[in-house]
Amino acid sequence: MTTTEILERGYRRYDGPRLGVAASMSALVRHTVRRCLGVHRPARAKVFPVLVIVLAYVPTIVYVGVTVLGNRLQRSGVPGRSMARAFVPSYATSYLSITLAIVVFSAFVAPEVLCPDRRTGMLGLYLASPLDRFTYLVSKAAAVLMLTCVVTVGPPLILLVGYATQGFGPEGLAGWAGTLGRILGAGLTIAVLVTAVSLAISSLTTRKAAASAAFLALVIGLSGLLTMVVVQGAVSNRWGVFNLFTLPYEAAFRIFGEPSPLVLNAESEVPAGLIALGCGGWVAASVLVIAWRYRRAGVTA
Amino acid sequence: MSDVVVGQRVSKRFGATPVLADATFTVGRGVTGLLGPNGAGKTTLLSMMLGLHRADSGRLEVLGLDPVRSGPEVRARIGYAPEHHLLPPDLPALDFVRHLAEIHGLPRAEAATRASDALWWVALGEERFRALGTLSTGQRQRVKLAAALAPDPALLLLDEPTDGLDPTQRDSMLDLISRIGTDVGIDVILSSHLLDEVERTCDQVVVLDDGHVVASGPLDELRGVERGVRLVVDADPAALAGSLASRGLDVVVDRYTLDVTSDLVDQCALQRIVRDEVAAAGIGLRELRSRVRSLSDVILGVGL
Repeated sequence: MTTTEILERGYRRYDGPRLGVAASMSALVRHTVRRCLGVHRPARAKVFPVLVIVLAYVPTIVYVGVTVLGNRLQRSGVPGRSMARAFVPSYATSYLSITLAIVVFSAFVAPEVLCPDRRTGMLGLYLASPLDRFTYLVSKAAAVLMLTCVVTVGPPLILLVGYATQGFGPEGLAGWAGTLGRILGAGLTIAVLVTAVSLAISSLTTRKAAASAAFLALVIGLSGLLTMVVVQGAVSNRWGVFNLFTLPYEAAFRIFGEPSPLVLNAESEVPAGLIALGCGGWVAASVLVIAWRYRRAGVTA
Repeated sequence: MSDVVVGQRVSKRFGATPVLADATFTVGRGVTGLLGPNGAGKTTLLSMMLGLHRADSGRLEVLGLDPVRSGPEVRARIGYAPEHHLLPPDLPALDFVRHLAEIHGLPRAEAATRASDALWWVALGEERFRALGTLSTGQRQRVKLAAALAPDPALLLLDEPTDGLDPTQRDSMLDLISRIGTDVGIDVILSSHLLDEVERTCDQVVVLDDGHVVASGPLDELRGVERGVRLVVDADPAALAGSLASRGLDVVVDRYTLDVTSDLVDQCALQRIVRDEVAAAGIGLRELRSRVRSLSDVILGVGL
């Protein structure tokens, strides 16, 4: 029997299509999302993101399960539906049970997305491609936003489907469309806010752990401080617009038109305009920080 | 298109520090060395070719385009291998090369095929599924070369591609670079501070010092042909040197190598005299050629 070995495969020239900047951005988004979720990476890289995503969905699955159980009890003659209605939250309130998962997920994703590129020199390789600083950052932000939406939009969407199939959901097509719009609006608002801030912090360091710690310190530490001074009456609850832990959810409650149970409203209703201004201010400040940090980034960065 | 890169009076400052001053040069087809000591402005010039820095004054054209105005279009046709060896440690080599090919605009399936081919071409086919962090420095240098080659660029920019390599790996890398220029037909700009590797690999050179272009052009033209001949013999050349000197020639002996020059006869006559004297001396002749200046002589000649 003879064996054949290919010793020289040669080099083929390529004269096919080159897909342009949009395709490059799409490739970067896809690669970033896969890296963040640990695809084609060692098992240890998959554990954390999968665990946090699962944690974000557990309350939703429990709520839907309660509606299913309520309906079964109802068929057995027990007033299960009213018991279930008393237990399951509204769409806005459901965010409160996944707040921590969202914050922890955001503390993980943005550092994972930005820091290694500067630390390993990948940024220089990207900037030597059809991408430039702007399209690189837009792609990275899009990837973080998509990933964050998995935990900010996904759970309430499942809740909508679950509630609707169990007869707890909005009535009629208009009700469905309105609720769906609010879910997307609230989920995107929260995602945009945490994406912007976490990316800004991640742009300041090449260390993932330092970026994660700084994000958690800013969100949780500042929240604790502000909550304390607002509760003590030292300052107006309007200072809550600086509270990154509660501000996104205040925005969500405004979008769903529900009264907020958060400390931000302890005294009186904070105008929705101020909430919007707070969200916009955080996002704008974050964009400025990122732009400043990447202004001079080059191939030797 | 004959000129790959054209720079005319290109100047660049970072703050108060001038990095390039009135740099005028032309890079033609083939392999070109961008030579200069550290801090000469090589990396800045590479960055400007990639459109990442705008010239303060002057004009720079890459592949016939302004790299700042047509940045994405120019960079889509350029492959770049950076100097640093830091790469994502847990990313398999194949994924790395494929991803960069996609980023350069290749369709996904084509990027995957070409990534695999490029890794085979740089002799890393068997290692293509290994994580980058587990590869040696030499292997990582070749992965960077494969990543730069996979999108089939028109121009390849290699920044110190032999940095950190042992002599064997260095020879292998320089052979690959030569083949890219000759067999594959991709134009290459090789940034280096090592004279010998530029001299060995490149057809042309742009020599930078302190932001100034101190020499540029084809190596043969820069080196020129000096008057005189160099011969290498296989026995003691003392007698031969004596007989050449007795005919009024200037002879410099270095072991078995003799450099023979004369202001009295022309180059053809000189070669005939040397041939006859070698024959008369009855010793073996290993090499006989016109004397050329080394790149080192050229650079020393311009005061570097």
